[in-house]
Amino acid sequence: MSKVIEFVKGPWYIAVYTWREGLRRKTLVGFLILSLLVIFGATFMTSFLNQATVGDVTTDMDLKLIKDICVTTISIFGVLITIFISASVVPVEVENRIIYTVLSKPVRRFQYLLGKFLGAQLIIIMNLCLMGGLFFVALYIKQRILPTLLLWSVFLTYFEFLIVSALTFAVACASSSSVLPTIAGLFIYITGSLTEYLKDVYNRSGQTGEFLDSLIGYLAYILWNILPNLQRFSLKTQIVNSQPNDPPTDVLIPQLVLYALIYAVSGYIIAYWIFRKREV
Amino acid sequence: MSVSQEPIIKTTKLTKIYETGFRGEEVKALIDLDLEIYSGEIFGYLGPNGSGKTTTIKLLLGLIFPTYGEIFVLGTSDINSPAVKKNIGYLPEGAFYPDFLRGEEILHFYGQLYGLTGRELRKRVDYVLDLVGMTHARRRMLKGYSKGMRQRIGLAQALISDPKILILDEPTTGLDPIARKEIRDILARLRDEGKTLFISSHELLEVEMISNRVGILFDGVLRVSGTLDELLEIKDRIVEFANATEDKIKIIIDKGGEIFDQIDSKVFLRAKSDDDIYNVIELGRSVGLSLVKITPRRESLEELFVRVITSAEAERRTKNE
Ligand SMILES: Nc1ncnc2c1ncn2[C@@H]1O[C@H](COP(=O)(O)OP(=O)(O)O)[C@@H](O)[C@H]1O
Ligand SMILES: [Mg+2]
Repeated sequence: MSKVIEFVKGPWYIAVYTWREGLRRKTLVGFLILSLLVIFGATFMTSFLNQATVGDVTTDMDLKLIKDICVTTISIFGVLITIFISASVVPVEVENRIIYTVLSKPVRRFQYLLGKFLGAQLIIIMNLCLMGGLFFVALYIKQRILPTLLLWSVFLTYFEFLIVSALTFAVACASSSSVLPTIAGLFIYITGSLTEYLKDVYNRSGQTGEFLDSLIGYLAYILWNILPNLQRFSLKTQIVNSQPNDPPTDVLIPQLVLYALIYAVSGYIIAYWIFRKREV
Repeated sequence: MSVSQEPIIKTTKLTKIYETGFRGEEVKALIDLDLEIYSGEIFGYLGPNGSGKTTTIKLLLGLIFPTYGEIFVLGTSDINSPAVKKNIGYLPEGAFYPDFLRGEEILHFYGQLYGLTGRELRKRVDYVLDLVGMTHARRRMLKGYSKGMRQRIGLAQALISDPKILILDEPTTGLDPIARKEIRDILARLRDEGKTLFISSHELLEVEMISNRVGILFDGVLRVSGTLDELLEIKDRIVEFANATEDKIKIIIDKGGEIFDQIDSKVFLRAKSDDDIYNVIELGRSVGLSLVKITPRRESLEELFVRVITSAEAERRTKNE
């Protein structure tokens, strides 16, 4: 046991300092403030505007719109922050050579990388908590019902981000600047959100029996299997259309968590495998 | 320092070839380096820019990997093991630290990585901040530090765990003279505490002041290494005369005398060997100078450096032809 504690101490210290340093970055804080403003604006400004016409009760339509805006804001700003931070925590240190001083300390590369990855997760989680928390409070004030469904949604969104983060991180471990991994992260997020279409492509292919047709279908099938399906993590439709304290019905939460963890661990292993022999 | 002792750092045939560009062009940064550093030594690792000093240091720290050859630190080849790293403090070349942290936060963080905690850690942070003269700026963000301040914080983080071995890559390069003097004083203090210091530098005077053994690297090859007493030859004798005038000096030069220096009416002539002393005295007397004294002169490290590098360059030229 004490061996385990000894082993995770280093990564933990690195994670905490990565988190602290991240909080002092302007880009990150800027994104965060912007997203909070959007959520705040969407929830409170509409109610303010509508009071004249509808009185105290917010209409159903308004609520749907607000929820839609806020859920979308959380996922878009959240994923931008996720990609930005996962793409930069390692390359920034290689670029400005801080990594020399850290890797020359009694810390194995595995521990260093783990620390960086955990630090990124701390930032992502903190940021989700702030955005989700604000939305939670706003919804509660409006409807006087505890929006527990939102908590489930934020929980699942984190695991969606975990996948994007781990894969972006793996790319970042091979690059010396954060530009390439940022682009890769966006690509992963976008294609990951479109994997349902790949399945469509596969289902429709092979009808003509032509080689090219089958090949495309086959490729689509492989991609559909390899790429994470990020849509599965979304509770947006349910949040928008049902009561805020409904249990989540569209998803199998334990399976999704496991699914995300498998991707995250694979991403981390790839990252380590790249980083193990990397010259800095 | 006994010869039978195990070296603290040892490399055998250590070689690093970088592959650069898309066509994989090779840069032979370090070739067959055999090095032994013993406990308590102050080793000055010298060489012009691009000679492979930083490459050597990064290899010793496991930041890059040898093309071939072996490295032993504290008797083991697993140089990345925390047990080895615990005993090493490293100051990288240039001063790059997390900009968004305060001076003391950085030291706190690096101390934690060495396993220091609580009161012990706070005491060490206070101690090293005081040692490098940075207590006044400990709460300021690194963003606002000057280059000299960064270098001091760098030295402080290298010292945070009170390591046995210190590896310093150009600790005084790019600093102003006062900062340089202060860093040098700290290094002298560490030497007196019995630390093993591996200092890379091209500031020869500084190295000469503090080191007891040096190695000169050029083009990735260690040209010479040894103690200063072994390496610096006493060849010259300087013969000092009084009553010199421009005319007399001109005559001396015409007769083949070698002027070493000249201050007012004093002139210093160089004698290349013991026998040559008589010729030089005779030469001085013949133009009416009066002999003041004769002093043996040890070659300076700079002269040794120039001698070694010049012959290495000549060697390279003949090889290329
Ligand atoms: N990462 C690298 N890739 C390619 N060449 C390199 C790399 N690092 C250093 N070099 C080359 O290796 C040689 C030695 O460099 P270095 O060890 O930095 O010298 P020094 O520290 O003595 O100035 C130089 O020719 C340098 O250009
Ligand atoms: Mg160098």
